[in-house]
Amino acid sequence: MAEINRRLVRVPAAGLFLLITWLAWTQNQNAPAELNLNKVRDNLYEIEGDGGNVAVRVTTEGVILVDDKYERDHDPIMAAIRSVTPQPVKYVFSTHYHEDHSGGNAKFFPTSEIISTQNARSSILEHKQLGASPNILPARVVFTEETSVFLGGAEVRARYFGRGHTNGDAVIYFPDLKAVHMGDLMADTSDLRMGTSPTVDYNGGGSLLEYPKTIDNVLAAYDFDAVIPGHGPVTNRQGLATYRDNVVKLIVRAQAFVRQGKSQAELARFMQTEYKWAPNSLPQQWSVPGMMKELK
Amino acid sequence: MTGIVMAQLHRSHIKRRRLVQAGNAGLLLFVGCLAYTQTRATPELKVIKLHENLYEIEGDGGNVTVRVTDEGVILGDVKHERDHDALVAAIKSVTPQPVKYIFNTHYHDDHSGGNAKFLPTAEIISTPNTRAHLLEHIRPNIRQEIPNNQPGRVVFTDETSVFLGGVEVRAGYFGRGHTDGDAVIYFPDLRTVQMGDMMSGTSPGVDYNGGGSLLELPKTLDKVLASYDFDTVIPGHGPVTNRAALVAYRDNILTLITRAQAFVRQGKSQDELAKLMETEFNWAPNSIQQIQNVPGMMTELK
Repeated sequence: MAEINRRLVRVPAAGLFLLITWLAWTQNQNAPAELNLNKVRDNLYEIEGDGGNVAVRVTTEGVILVDDKYERDHDPIMAAIRSVTPQPVKYVFSTHYHEDHSGGNAKFFPTSEIISTQNARSSILEHKQLGASPNILPARVVFTEETSVFLGGAEVRARYFGRGHTNGDAVIYFPDLKAVHMGDLMADTSDLRMGTSPTVDYNGGGSLLEYPKTIDNVLAAYDFDAVIPGHGPVTNRQGLATYRDNVVKLIVRAQAFVRQGKSQAELARFMQTEYKWAPNSLPQQWSVPGMMKELK
Repeated sequence: MTGIVMAQLHRSHIKRRRLVQAGNAGLLLFVGCLAYTQTRATPELKVIKLHENLYEIEGDGGNVTVRVTDEGVILGDVKHERDHDALVAAIKSVTPQPVKYIFNTHYHDDHSGGNAKFLPTAEIISTPNTRAHLLEHIRPNIRQEIPNNQPGRVVFTDETSVFLGGVEVRAGYFGRGHTDGDAVIYFPDLRTVQMGDMMSGTSPGVDYNGGGSLLELPKTLDKVLASYDFDTVIPGHGPVTNRAALVAYRDNILTLITRAQAFVRQGKSQDELAKLMETEFNWAPNSIQQIQNVPGMMTELK
């Protein structure tokens, strides 16, 4: 009797479990993303959670943002900004074209000036990121080398230092606060099982071999202590230098591996075991085929 | 129309000035100032259509370029502050669109003097040196400095573009010339450039105090010619011309450099160089060209 009851319950229970899981997942997608706002310096904050890190530079004439996460994050981003200042967002710098960094552009577009590199704009228009929303709006103002915005007595600078994560990564510099936002030229995505080593978007013009040189250019050009990475916790200049050294080590190891004539599947497995890149994760999909060619 | 009325007013003031000349110097000064400021208030500007959706505004100050798009207007330069109302009226005569972006070719008051009036509603973009010079108010030898002017909030070092209403307008810095921050504005779809004062009149003006260089100017022009594909050329002052005229202008600068350098290296004095420029290159005595160029040329051409 008990055996039959158990069997009768088991099927609906499995169905109920699936339903609850599905409900939890979809509701989670629609629910406001949970974002954490951290103070980096006086008048400089960083917003972590769901997508790339956002930097918030507060001035007496308005706010200058770096990156704007996904479009779905717009309201929580604004709520986080409102928790520290009533000033309107006047400028948004995009570090690169990926949806987790520039996905919110359309929401800011009517009231803010969005600024990016020429290549970040082109890559959005050419829909270089597979699976990204087709409705991301690119910046209206682009630059090739370096640009600055002066607002409320503060300067925020953006510069293109060379290929790395993409071919249009802007590094954002807060000279008076000695802080930089690296975009995904530095990213710790280990929480997403994507590792702490660099993802190279070869389709978006990135280059693993150029990556450490580009970081070297940043270290040589800008004087800073605080480093806001594209993902992961705020760190410092030494943290960036260590990250750069690890990229060099990865290049040496992966290049030796590729030059031994190993297959793409073997390189993928190598990155999985040695660098914690989850199978079929973005770094695996975006980086490994390109690494096979570039590291030959 | 108003311009003509003002010109008549101005003439009548001059007549009156003759009448009171002996008796009342104070009144003369007052009337003179009144006539002067009233004339300044309504400069006569002329709108010239260059291409579909591209206009040029001549008169009182540097040439202004008006690029019309269906999302707003992009300007190249804004003349003096006193020209603001006339400038806006001229723009309104060709489009109801608001001015959204302004590129400054350089920091001089006759090109960027109207910045402050546009800043609340338009994004102003310039090179970092143009911004710096506007903040420093450097230009002590020029009469028309306006200390309350504002620089652009956005600066670029190499090249920048604005995309508005499906149209691109680009600005590039190619090196020293008229100043050390001259931006060349490029309208790629209309094959047109706005040169600022790197092309102006028949013979170059170099603002040494503002970082300009006569020796670099022709090299900078060469870079523009090599980088941008264009037919139409809008100079900083004077009528619209073409690519061949810009090449000829560059050649004339080389001729001037050769002539003036030989002269300076013969050990001639600054006064003698000024006289040479006056007789051979038609620079008026005590003109801005003489004041800005000659002392710097004495040093640079040694």
